[in-house]
Amino acid sequence: MADMTPTAPTRPRSLVIASAFGTGAVLAYFGGLFGIYFSIRADAMAWGTQWFPEGAIELAPGGMNMATMAVSAVTMGWAVHSVLNDDRVHAYLALALTAVMGIAMVNQTAFYIADIGLPIDTSQATTLMFVIVGSHLVMVSIGVLWLGLLLLRALGGQDTSRHRDLVSAAALYWYAATAIYAVIWIGIYIAK
Amino acid sequence: MTTTDSDASSSTAMEEAITSTDPVTLAKVWAMGGMTAVLAGLVAGLLVSLERLDLEGAGIFGSGDELFQFWSAHRVALVLLGVLPMLIALGTTIVPRQCGANTLLFPRAAALACWTWLIGAGMTVVGFLVDGGLGTPDGGGQRQATALTLMGILLVVGGLMVAIMCILSTIFSGRAAGMGLGDIPYLSWTTLVAGTIWLGMLPVLAANAVLAYVDLRGRPAIRFGAEDAIWEQLSWVFTHPAIYLLALPVLGIALDAISSATGSEPANRGVLLIATAAFGFLSFGAYAQSFFDTPGTPIMEEAIYVLAAFAIVPVALVVLGGVLDLLRRGGSSLGPRPPASVVLSVIAVLLTVVGTVLGALRVVAPWDLLETSVTGAHFTLIVGAAIIGAVAGLNHWGQELLGSPGSPGMILLGGLAASLGVVLIGAADAVSGFLGQADFTGVDLATAGYPDSATAALNSISTLGAVAFLVAGLIWAVAGVKHLAAEPGGTG
Repeated sequence: MADMTPTAPTRPRSLVIASAFGTGAVLAYFGGLFGIYFSIRADAMAWGTQWFPEGAIELAPGGMNMATMAVSAVTMGWAVHSVLNDDRVHAYLALALTAVMGIAMVNQTAFYIADIGLPIDTSQATTLMFVIVGSHLVMVSIGVLWLGLLLLRALGGQDTSRHRDLVSAAALYWYAATAIYAVIWIGIYIAK
Repeated sequence: MTTTDSDASSSTAMEEAITSTDPVTLAKVWAMGGMTAVLAGLVAGLLVSLERLDLEGAGIFGSGDELFQFWSAHRVALVLLGVLPMLIALGTTIVPRQCGANTLLFPRAAALACWTWLIGAGMTVVGFLVDGGLGTPDGGGQRQATALTLMGILLVVGGLMVAIMCILSTIFSGRAAGMGLGDIPYLSWTTLVAGTIWLGMLPVLAANAVLAYVDLRGRPAIRFGAEDAIWEQLSWVFTHPAIYLLALPVLGIALDAISSATGSEPANRGVLLIATAAFGFLSFGAYAQSFFDTPGTPIMEEAIYVLAAFAIVPVALVVLGGVLDLLRRGGSSLGPRPPASVVLSVIAVLLTVVGTVLGALRVVAPWDLLETSVTGAHFTLIVGAAIIGAVAGLNHWGQELLGSPGSPGMILLGGLAASLGVVLIGAADAVSGFLGQADFTGVDLATAGYPDSATAALNSISTLGAVAFLVAGLIWAVAGVKHLAAEPGGTG
């Protein structure tokens, strides 16, 4: 028993694998919604029907949210890097910053949705938009809760380079949330 | 293994079942729940068949809407509440053992999935029974009950997805060191392929259900939540090509069961792995949503849809070839009375092949069969094959699941009755479809498509098939209850 350091398990990435399947399922969910959205939108455009009322969708809130999510993806990467290097202080900072940006994104979107002046039952376009944006809000909220858990674990010294799977799994999920928002930003806020 | 099993002496069997994270206990819940749903679905199917005996008016049901609720309940019960849970029962217990894993990964998540599914299944059934369901053609259902059904479907889908994630994670990262993905047994391989595709399709079904639910609640529906639109948005799960995915694990069950009984391995393992993977990928059906058709280009007439229907036939034939090769090389060791699991799994593969052929005929444009009862015949053949195959699997691995082999005689008897029923329904409905009978016949001749008068006799044959299938379900249920009651320890 010269070396008491436990050997790494042969297939240690079960959390990351499960997260990949879960994230894949979430991507499929949004893929379904985007497929419906763009299909109906294309038909409406082909028939010359108005999709959203002129000026109803503003660019700035979507752009700010996109910037927030993009920066949060970078801070999430910082968190993974810090945990990999057992840099606890930077890990606290990165996880907290990512969570705060997630909360800011939820706040901005909720404010804009309340302010937009487009009831959900105005048209197919608004119903789809509310479902897509609302689903993404739920996704980000789950991500924020997950980050909170990670932060608690980090404060307890449990997120280390040997036990980094939960951070990697959360990062995968968060990157997917950012990628999905990129499609929302381009497809709904920019292309309208 | 992470379990929360309490001391057997201080807890009842029910408490133990509810709090357990033991894969075998969960598998029992999945299997019993699935079998109960199959029985309920078969009862609904028989009632619909009886109603079809007179296409000119309502005999059993009060209206076309009520008939539609049972017609759609029949399909939902068999697929989402019946066959899939039975396959997950095998995936929860047998797949980890086949892969050399100590147990199923994430057992608490697996337990959560199981009970979420069960609660969702209960809500779905109640939703159908209180005049809800997944919409009606004439909008005669109760909106609140329809919303309840949709919520139930969402819970069912959520439970199934989490269970599939646990199984797939076990295959990927829980299997024994040195065992490659290409080395895992056929059931595990087909479960891996089917599970991956299900994880791509079930979320899309959830997206459809969420859209319908949000639009349905609280105000007049814009489009997605309209009573006459809900079923059409969800119906892609119950037809070609998505329906084939139910039969994929059955192909794996057949190869494993025959291989085990004959003591021989398929000579062309690589080909069979590729063929079963191709079968899975050709079954991806989330794109085939006719509700969102662009005017002038219906998805069911698009090349990808038609091509998938034809391409899956030779793929299924390759798997059948593998099964026949196994029987040819090791059939002599089976003796005069081969095991029930072998007989039933061979029947399941044959029905799957016949189903794929009918599926290919269905999409031939000049025959215009897409909206006819050929679609129902296709559904019955494939789902029937999946049910028979799943029962074969439960019988084959019964010893490992419950510690005793059960009643193979009753399982075989039920399987033969089910096969007779599936063949009668499939053949009669297929011919009726060619004679112009609609898939959903309603309670008047116009909805039935003004079919040829010969369909009256064919519908009688189909009803006999539905009776035989239901009898099979009852025999299996009795065999299952006897098996559980005889289980060592009597925890069933």
